[in-house]
Amino acid sequence: MVVKMAKDKIVVNYRFREKLNKVSGGKHHNYCYQCSACVAVCPAARFSKKFNPRKILLKALLGMEEELLGQDSPIWLCTNCYSCYERCPQDVRPIEVIVALKNMAVEKGTAPANLAKLSDNIAKTGMSVTISSAVHRKREQLGLPPLKTIPIDELQTILEDKEVTSTDETVDK
Amino acid sequence: MQKESRGTIMKVVPFWGCMMPLKYPQMELALRNTLPLLGVELADIDGFTCCPDPIYFKARDKMKWLVTAARNLAVAEETGHMLITMCSGCISTLKEAQFLLNEDPALKDEVNKRLKKVNREYKGKVIIKHAVEMIRDDLGLEAVKKSIKKPLEGINVAIHYGCHLLKPSQVMHVDDADYPNILEDFITAIGANPIEHYEKVLCCGKGCMDDELPLDMTEAIFVSIEKSGADCMGLICPTCFSSFDLGQIMISRKRGKNYNIPVIYLFQLLGLAQGLTVEQVGLHTHRIKADKVLEKINGSVKV
Repeated sequence: MVVKMAKDKIVVNYRFREKLNKVSGGKHHNYCYQCSACVAVCPAARFSKKFNPRKILLKALLGMEEELLGQDSPIWLCTNCYSCYERCPQDVRPIEVIVALKNMAVEKGTAPANLAKLSDNIAKTGMSVTISSAVHRKREQLGLPPLKTIPIDELQTILEDKEVTSTDETVDK
Repeated sequence: MQKESRGTIMKVVPFWGCMMPLKYPQMELALRNTLPLLGVELADIDGFTCCPDPIYFKARDKMKWLVTAARNLAVAEETGHMLITMCSGCISTLKEAQFLLNEDPALKDEVNKRLKKVNREYKGKVIIKHAVEMIRDDLGLEAVKKSIKKPLEGINVAIHYGCHLLKPSQVMHVDDADYPNILEDFITAIGANPIEHYEKVLCCGKGCMDDELPLDMTEAIFVSIEKSGADCMGLICPTCFSSFDLGQIMISRKRGKNYNIPVIYLFQLLGLAQGLTVEQVGLHTHRIKADKVLEKINGSVKV
C-alpha cells in the first residue's frame, strides 16, 4: 500500500475507527506512532512480503475498512506469536488489534471459510479436537484414564446469549 | 507410579486442554508418570472445557473466548488449588484471560453476568502456572535432580521455546522473552546439554492461515537445528510438536527434504532421565523415530 502523503488529500474514515474502538482490543490502535518495532520482530513479515503489522496499523488509523476486512486482507497471515505485543513501546498490542479486526471480518462475513471449520468444534462439543473412537482407543492403549465429562450444556448456556458480545456493535455503512 | 513417588509435596489441579488428551496422549502419559516422582499430586477434576484455543476461537469472537476461559478459571478457583497447564496454548489463553479480567473490572462484571447463568463466578484468585514454571518456582530444580536415575549425559537438546510460554511477558510472567533460560535450566537439571541455535525463539508458524508460510518457518528452524549438532529437539508445546513431528513428513513430501530430527516433549526427556521406559513416556508414538538418540542415551547410561 502506498500512501501519498504530500500530493493526495488524505481522508480518514473515523466511523470505521469508532467501530474498531468498540471491539475488544481494538482501542489500542490509537496509540500507534508507526515506529516499525513490530515489523522488526514479526516472523510473518520476515517470511512474507504480504504481511506488515505497521501497515496494518496505518490502515487502521486511516480507517481503510475495505483493505482490512476484505476477502484479501493480510490479517489472516498473522502467526499469533505475540512478538509485536512484546516489543511495542506504545502498548498498541498489535496482535490484539488484528484479533479485533478478525472479529469484525467474522461479523461482516468475510473471514476465510476454514476459520469456522477450525473453531466449530468448541461450541458444539466443548473441545477443539474431535473426540473419535480412535482417541479413546489410543488412550486405552497407553493406559490412560477415561476422559472427564465435558460440561457442554453449561458452556452452551454461557455462549448462547448474543447481547453481551461487543462485536455486535454494527454501524450501518 | 504412586509407589515410586517421593510422597506428595504439592497437590495441583491439571488442566489438560484438548491437544494433549485427544491428539498427543503420549504427552499426558509422560506427565502422569513423571510429576508424581517430583512429589506432585495431580488432582483431576470434572468441569473443564477447551481453554479455548487462543487463535481460531478467539479470532471468531473474543468475548466468547474470554467467557469460556473465565468459566474454566472459575471452576479451578472453586478447588482452592493451583491450576497447572502443560500446553502453551492453554497457558496463553488462561493467563491472558486472567490478565484482561483483572485489568478491567467492568469487563469482569460483564463476564461474571454470563457466568451467573450457570452459578459460577470468577473472583480472580486462582493461581495458574505452566508445569515447568511450577517446577522452577514451587518445587525447585533440586527436586528434579533428586528424581534422576539416569542423567542424560552427552545428549544435546535443541530447545524450541514456542511463543506462548513467554510472550507477552507482562501477561505471562515466566521469563525474559528474548533471552529465556527456564528450559535450559530444566534440560541441565536432567543432565543433558541445552544446545544453542539461532532460531531458538522463532515461531513454528502453526497459527498462520497460509499453506506455505508455516512450512518456511518450520524449515528455517530445522536448518538452524541441523547446524547446531543437536541430537533431538526438546519442546513443551503440543501445537509446535505437530509442526515439527508431522511437519517433517510434510516437508519431506512437499519439498523432498529429510531432516530426521526427533521431536521430544520435555517431560518425555525427564521421564527417560528418571529411568522410565520409552513406552512409559510414549515416545514410541512419534512419527520421527528417536532410535538414534535413544541409543546414545542407553549408551551413556551408567546403570
